[in-house]
Amino acid sequence: MLKNYLMVAFRNLLKHKLYSAINIAGLAVGLATCVLILLFVRNETTHDRFFTDADRLYQVVIRAQLPGRQADNVAATMLPLAAALKESFPEIEKTARVVQSPTVFKRGDDSFSETVRLVDPDFFRMFDFPFLRGDRMTALDEPNGIVLTESMAKKYFKDSDPLGQTLEVDGAEPAKVTGVISDMPSDTHFDLEIIRPYAAGAAALRGLETNWGGICCETYLLLKPGADAAAINARLPAWIKTAAPTLNSPQGSINLGEIFTPRIRNVKDIHTDPVQSSMRPSTSYAEILTFAAVAVLVLAIASINFMNLATARATQRAREVSVRKVVGASRGQIIMQFIGESLMLTLIGLLLSIALVELALPAYSAFLDKELTFNLFTDPLLGPALLGLALVVGVAGGAYPAFFLSSFNPARVLKGASSGVGGGSGRLRMTLVVVQFAISIALMVATAVVYGQLLYAQNKNLGFDKENTVILSGFPRGADRERQQTLANSLAKLDGVASAAGTDVTPGDGNEINTNVRMPGADPNQLLVLRQATVDWDYVKTLGLQLVAGRDFDRSRPADQLIFPPQPAPGAAPPADNAERPVHSGSVILNEAAVKRLGFTSNEDALGKEFEAGGGASTLKLTIIGVIADFHFRSVHDPIAPAMFYVDNGSFSDMLVRIKGGDTQKTLAAVERVWRDMYPTRPMQREFLDTRIENLYVREAKTSQMFATFSGLAILIACLGLFGLASFTAERRTKEIGLRKVLGASVLDIVRLLVWQFSKPVLVANLIAWPAAWYFMDRWLNGFSFRIDLNPLLFVAAGGLALLIAWATVGLHAARVAQAKPVTALRYE
Amino acid sequence: MLKLVDLVKAYRTEEVETTALNSVNIHVRDGEFVAIMGPSGCGKSSLLNIIGMLDTPSSGQYWFNGEDVSTYGERKLADIRKKNIGFIFQSFNLIDELTVFENVELALLYHDIPARERKERVKAALAKVNIGHRESHLPQQLSGGQQQRVAIARAVVAKPKMLLADEPTGNLDSANGDEVMRMLTDLNAEGTTIVMVTHSMPHAQYATRIINLFDGQVVAENLRAA
Repeated sequence: MLKNYLMVAFRNLLKHKLYSAINIAGLAVGLATCVLILLFVRNETTHDRFFTDADRLYQVVIRAQLPGRQADNVAATMLPLAAALKESFPEIEKTARVVQSPTVFKRGDDSFSETVRLVDPDFFRMFDFPFLRGDRMTALDEPNGIVLTESMAKKYFKDSDPLGQTLEVDGAEPAKVTGVISDMPSDTHFDLEIIRPYAAGAAALRGLETNWGGICCETYLLLKPGADAAAINARLPAWIKTAAPTLNSPQGSINLGEIFTPRIRNVKDIHTDPVQSSMRPSTSYAEILTFAAVAVLVLAIASINFMNLATARATQRAREVSVRKVVGASRGQIIMQFIGESLMLTLIGLLLSIALVELALPAYSAFLDKELTFNLFTDPLLGPALLGLALVVGVAGGAYPAFFLSSFNPARVLKGASSGVGGGSGRLRMTLVVVQFAISIALMVATAVVYGQLLYAQNKNLGFDKENTVILSGFPRGADRERQQTLANSLAKLDGVASAAGTDVTPGDGNEINTNVRMPGADPNQLLVLRQATVDWDYVKTLGLQLVAGRDFDRSRPADQLIFPPQPAPGAAPPADNAERPVHSGSVILNEAAVKRLGFTSNEDALGKEFEAGGGASTLKLTIIGVIADFHFRSVHDPIAPAMFYVDNGSFSDMLVRIKGGDTQKTLAAVERVWRDMYPTRPMQREFLDTRIENLYVREAKTSQMFATFSGLAILIACLGLFGLASFTAERRTKEIGLRKVLGASVLDIVRLLVWQFSKPVLVANLIAWPAAWYFMDRWLNGFSFRIDLNPLLFVAAGGLALLIAWATVGLHAARVAQAKPVTALRYE
Repeated sequence: MLKLVDLVKAYRTEEVETTALNSVNIHVRDGEFVAIMGPSGCGKSSLLNIIGMLDTPSSGQYWFNGEDVSTYGERKLADIRKKNIGFIFQSFNLIDELTVFENVELALLYHDIPARERKERVKAALAKVNIGHRESHLPQQLSGGQQQRVAIARAVVAKPKMLLADEPTGNLDSANGDEVMRMLTDLNAEGTTIVMVTHSMPHAQYATRIINLFDGQVVAENLRAA
């Protein structure tokens, strides 16, 4: 019996080549798309599972609620937190902090700036990264030790064995290689290349070691077996209020425990819980779910093709079904036969889709920058998962046709050609086409909105001029301000340079420093916190910021600059809370958000007003001399923080250089020469501001490209189905078309007839797609602080495009049928 | 073999009810060859569909081998049909995708008969209707008469007790029609009960009894001497 079923199915497949090709191609593309998406989803949801103790490894996240600001979540903490947690929570077995530390290494005459991660000694005892050389348990025991990834080891030591060799470090003791680990795999949140013991950089961090306000390191915990993370999380908010100190200053008291609330999260959840982090960018469950939904929709479209084409062809199979019934087949047997056929087609589609996935995987992996694996032989879950997928699609797609086909009344079918086949399925077919096109139109709208928002973010007027601006960094730690000033002046004199200005704050970086301020006469209990930025005289000009009231800083007015006494030596005790603080006066420029935050009625109202701000060991008395329009410090996803800008006599971390158009390469070479003259031992690091801003959206750009590709495939599969359906309809209506032509219809009349028949479902599809797409995309856009509005024209355009695609698909076919001689059509029956 | 008592078949649409069969009483004994005649629309096919258990009556009784099957469900009817009844149609109704051999074999596939026995029986059935030499051809490669012979082979291969033929010669020329009728007569002679609907008086003459239907009622029964 099975042989007979297979034979009939196979011969049908060969006989109706177009139908088979459409079905198999649709299923193959649909399944391949689905598999590719699911590989991505699997990778995204299985990060950091390879650590032996992954279940017990946690990271601390801080929720920072600064007064007047939206709460911010950061995967970073203050340095003293780890030890305090370990002391208070007996459930914690080990802790390890990770601090970023820019370091310059030398090899011969070459210098290299690298990002070193300083980690506590237990780090590798908690995270069992595979060690290619050296001993994981002791690699960080020596204070001058250094652990490199394979790539870094190759970079510095070529092919020689790096273990035990030394690396010269600028301004410090040489480091001795104590271990080599594999490069970070794609399924971890860690972004490590060079790891050193905390002790190697402890001196520079001394001031932060007791500072509960400085968020500067990742903190990881290993909980004891059986420890309850939820219980720890429940206790943390109350605990931090007692553990963190209250800072008293003339500008008011701040209990840091009120501002910073820690929580812990399992390492396996880090990648899908997006918060700001210095490690690799994370994703969100919403995004993963969106892609999973696209996978399901694509498969649904392919299954609908199958259902539609199978029921459309019902008349051709009606006689076979009836004969089988007459010779004794039960309905159940016929249902099983057709579901079996559907499974056979799906399995052929699956085989093709495996080939498609293999073909697409290298480019896809490269695009996503992930190591996605697809190996049926080494992955025990993959084979069963694929078969399961085929089974679901085969049964889902085959069930309706099977029930429909098996319901024929054999007496009527066998008497006359096809009178036993009900006409109701035509309506259902059109309903399914409506569903397909509704999905396609909604995906088109979604793609357009995602792209629109991305373009908006990339091109939004950020409030500064991102073109032709270079950010220089790589200054030695505690650089000399005078030398930096000389550098800025020398750079500004270069032919190709318009201006140069040092700063601690360049747009796009994650650093921020906040301080509490007090308005004269204001309620001392009202906490006002502003973001503070120390900048250079020409900061406003160099960044192209827009001054909306008052004036810019002016070198000729000494009162514009805050002059601080030299910094106390590292390790010196901070002044007591009640100590008399020296007062320093100077000028300040606010952004508009700060003007509002401080309660001024207008920008002009703020000019000339004074306020006090905390300035470490001193109090700042600041006079507002100007207001600049709000600009984005980070991506447009983040709201703009109220901020103040002042010029002081401290050193800068970065130098902004605005270059003139023209020979950029020549100018950059000149800039580098000036830098080398000033800092011969420090390699200059250079980044274009517009590149940095673009990089903020890399992930979104990839997401939108992926979304667009998969939507395109969904539409392609839907069109395949429509083409098949149109061809069957034309075939079924051959006699009608012939008669119409005999009665005087032109080719155009016939084409119009068929095209209109298929336009109706597409038009109806809009009615479903538009509100659904509007609802979901509006919700999606609400996740951005700055978003585009949904444009109704976009929806109309998507609907119109779908209609055009449908016309093109059906029209070609209709034209061919309509041009046939009517006599051929009439002979058909 | 079968007995119809006060059998009624009515078709309802939203507006009208059409009575196809009205109080029909027919008794067919084992081994009979009955021809049913009558003008188009008189209910011949409706009657044959009910006898063949492809349709169920609206009221009345249908006794088949001593069982009243008029209230049986589709599954049970399919089972009785499979074991007892073979069909021959005017339009042959062969499956285009299957060869002659496979078309005939289809009737045995639902009977759990081992492959070897199936092969033997199919070959014997094809030989009986003189079409054995075309067993690997597809239906469209055969003439109408040849196709109907294949259909007869398919109808008899499962050795049904009763053969229902719905205008078996309607699509054939007279030579081929006569040939088919001779085959049916031979089968009847071997003991198979045959009920045949036909328009053709000459072909009806092959039967042992002719029942005339008009407007859904039996109007005459002529017993013929064999």
